[in-house]
Parts: sequence; C-alpha cells; structure tokens
Amino acid sequence: MEMVKTTLLAVVLATASASGKDFSLTIGNPVAVALPDGVNPVVKKKDAGMAVRVENCADVASSHVTATAEGIVNGARRSVPLRLVAATTLGAYAVSRDWPWEGAWVVHLTGHCGASTASAVVPFGPNGFIREASKFFPRAATAAEVEAVLKTLSGGAQ
Amino acid sequence: MKMPDEMPPLGPIDPGQLPLLKAPDSIWRSIEAALDAKRKPRTNLFAAWRWATAALVVIGAVSWYATRPELPSWQVSRLEGSAAVNKIKVGEWLQTDGNSRARITVGDIGVVDVEPNTRIRLVAASSTEHRLTLARGEISATVSAPPRLFLVDTPASTAVDLGCAYKIKTDEKGDGVLRVTSGWVSLEWKGRESLVPAGANCRTRSGTGPGTPYFEDAPQALQQALAAFDFGKGGEESLRTILSQARVRDTLSLWHVLSRVEPRDRVRVMERMVELVPLPAGVVREKALQLDPAALKSWREELAWKW
Repeated sequence: MEMVKTTLLAVVLATASASGKDFSLTIGNPVAVALPDGVNPVVKKKDAGMAVRVENCADVASSHVTATAEGIVNGARRSVPLRLVAATTLGAYAVSRDWPWEGAWVVHLTGHCGASTASAVVPFGPNGFIREASKFFPRAATAAEVEAVLKTLSGGAQ
Repeated sequence: MKMPDEMPPLGPIDPGQLPLLKAPDSIWRSIEAALDAKRKPRTNLFAAWRWATAALVVIGAVSWYATRPELPSWQVSRLEGSAAVNKIKVGEWLQTDGNSRARITVGDIGVVDVEPNTRIRLVAASSTEHRLTLARGEISATVSAPPRLFLVDTPASTAVDLGCAYKIKTDEKGDGVLRVTSGWVSLEWKGRESLVPAGANCRTRSGTGPGTPYFEDAPQALQQALAAFDFGKGGEESLRTILSQARVRDTLSLWHVLSRVEPRDRVRVMERMVELVPLPAGVVREKALQLDPAALKSWREELAWKW
C-alpha cells in the first residue's frame, strides 16, 4: 500500500512538474491579437509593438504577464514599464510600444501561471521585434540575461 | 371736320383724281401729343422691379459666398524645397517637384509626408472617411484611427488603413510597392485583397492590382518567385520555388498563395504550410481547402503568431 501511495505521489509530482515546464510565452506580430471593441484605437495595433500569449497554462484566467522595455539611449541605461492590453482571446495581450524610437531596446516579458513562471527577452530593430534573436526562459530571466541580449543588440546597432 | 359727300370712284384711281384736303388742327395736336408721350423716359414700375431683382440676386450671391460652408481641408506644411501651399481642400491636388517634400496633417488622426515628384489629391475629409488619391510618387502615412477610416487610392490599388504606418509608392500606371512599418494595411483592388503586416511589403501592378505580400527579410529567391507568380505567369516553376523557399514566417505569403493557385495546387500549398506550422485545432482542413472565409481567417490569426 505504501508503495502504491509513493508511486502515485511520484506520478502526480512528475505531472505537475512537466506541466510547469511546459508553461511558456509565445510572441507574435501585433496583428495576431484581436482587441475588444471599445479599446481606444490609439492603443490598438498601430501602437502595439508586439503580441504575447501564455501557452500551456491550466488556469489561463488567473495567468498574468508583465512587460518592461529595457534600453540604452546615448549611452544611458533606461527602463520603461509597458502597458499590456488584454485581447479577446484569454491569455493573449498586445504590448504597447511605449519606449522612445532612439537607442537600442529589448522588451522583457514575464508570465505567471499558478506557481510557474516563464519569460522572454525580445530585441527590437527598426522594423519591429527580432524573433531570431529573442531568448525564452522557462523561469524568470535574470538581470544578467536581459543585459546580455541588450548588449548584443546595442553592439550590433552601433 | 367735313368729308366730301361723294361716293369713292370705281376702278383704278389716277394721280390727281382724289381731292386734297387740309387736315384739321386737332389731328396734328393729337399726333404730336402721342409722339411726345413716346419720347418721354419711362419711369414705369417694370424697370424698377428689374433693378430690385438684380440687386437681390447680387446680395444673395454675396451672402452665400460669405456664409457658405467651408470645404473640408487639411493643413500642409513644407518639409523641404519650395512647396508654398498651406492648405489642401477636398478636390484639390498637391504636387511636389524634384526637390520638395511636404507634410499633410490628416485631420486629428495622423500625418502624410509627401515625397518629391509626387502628385496627390484630397478626395474626402469627413468623420467617416479620410481619402487621398496618389496619382504618382511616394507618401509615408502614420495614422492612429479606427480601421478603414483612412484610405489611399492608387491607379492599381486602394490602401486601407487597419491602424498603421506605411510607405506607398506608385507610378502613373499603378506599378508600385507598399511597405508597412507598423500595424497592418489591407491592399485592395477589384475583389482582390492582400493583408500586409508590419515588416512586410506588397507590390502592385497595373491591370493586376496587389500581389502577394512578403516579409522584407524573405529569401530573394522567394521574393522573385512571388513576383513571377503574381505578375509574370511564373506557373509551376515559380510555385515550386515559393514552396521550397518559404520559412515559418513566410506562411504569410503562403496563406495568400493558397487562395490564388489553381484548385489542383491547393493541397500542395496547404501541405507545405502545415509542414511549417501545424494546422491549429480549430481549423478544419477541408474547409480551408474550400477557401471557407471563416476557416481561413482563424488559420491566419493563428499563423500571425509566427509572423
């Protein structure tokens, strides 16, 4: 009996662990999200720098995402909190492009689903986000990881 | 007055046969009175009414001109060169020379920068439609407004703003290109529609309208094959190149190609798309192959996460 209990517990923990590992963020073109009627058109697609959605979250309704723009402008480090506008699809958001056009910028996204956390660091070029250079983490990105992507971008940009 | 009491002579009368009589003075007086009456200036009512009516017409015209509703117009400012216009009204043209650039303020929804050698006309400036005609040249538009409020007609397309910033260039025939830098644009022409998101381009050609949109970073071979497919009767060879060169992100182009190939080729296009990005759960394969609008829209919305 004790062995059965132990086995069951192991299975439950393994499932939970696997489910937690699968939680992630997907980024996309702003056109991927439909925003509800009544949202100010100014914060609609034109001003959305990108879209983000949570993946593999058992309780999407309770999930949430935060975003900041991290940049270097004229050699000075800047940080700008970003607005997220919830889309008509649960767990999907338009990320407002609230950072200046000059300088080098990455968007740091962090998502939470229950106890699980996932994050992404997304560099931006003149034509929008650069998918190929984006980094995704099954946990919160460290400050060093954000700085590394920013450094690569600003080095390439200058 | 006394007249001869004789009967008039019968038959032709010879000169001198009729007696000469002196007319009574009263007759001359009455004739002179009548002639005087004709000579007098007519100060009658008819003439007065004519002047009054004319005056009223003039006053009316002046009042209408002074109080007429002003035609809607947009402000124009000079960016470079010698463009001297400061306003463009509905129906008017604005033309820049080889050294001039101008900025049109589009009501309160955005701006349009007019590049050199461009000819553009303001067609409508109402609360429901802001419309320009680009006859030739290049403009950059940045608009923050509800979708489908701002439109630009070219000789071979209409660029419908879906909340965006873009550049559009055309020659007089309609050969040109659209480049979207933010949001997206619907390029429409005679029932043909191309949806162009940020980072993508779309060519237009006289007689055909918009081609297939493609991302700027798409492989050159893919871009050339799309041009051949859209405008050059590229046929099987161009389709083969399109399918082999397409990356995940190029499902943007494939999604458009799906509804533009012959029915017999649709399965090939779909299979390549599914190979690049699995068909989403809510999209039925058969419906998509039948070009069911709802199925295609759902599929496009899911694919857009990869663009």
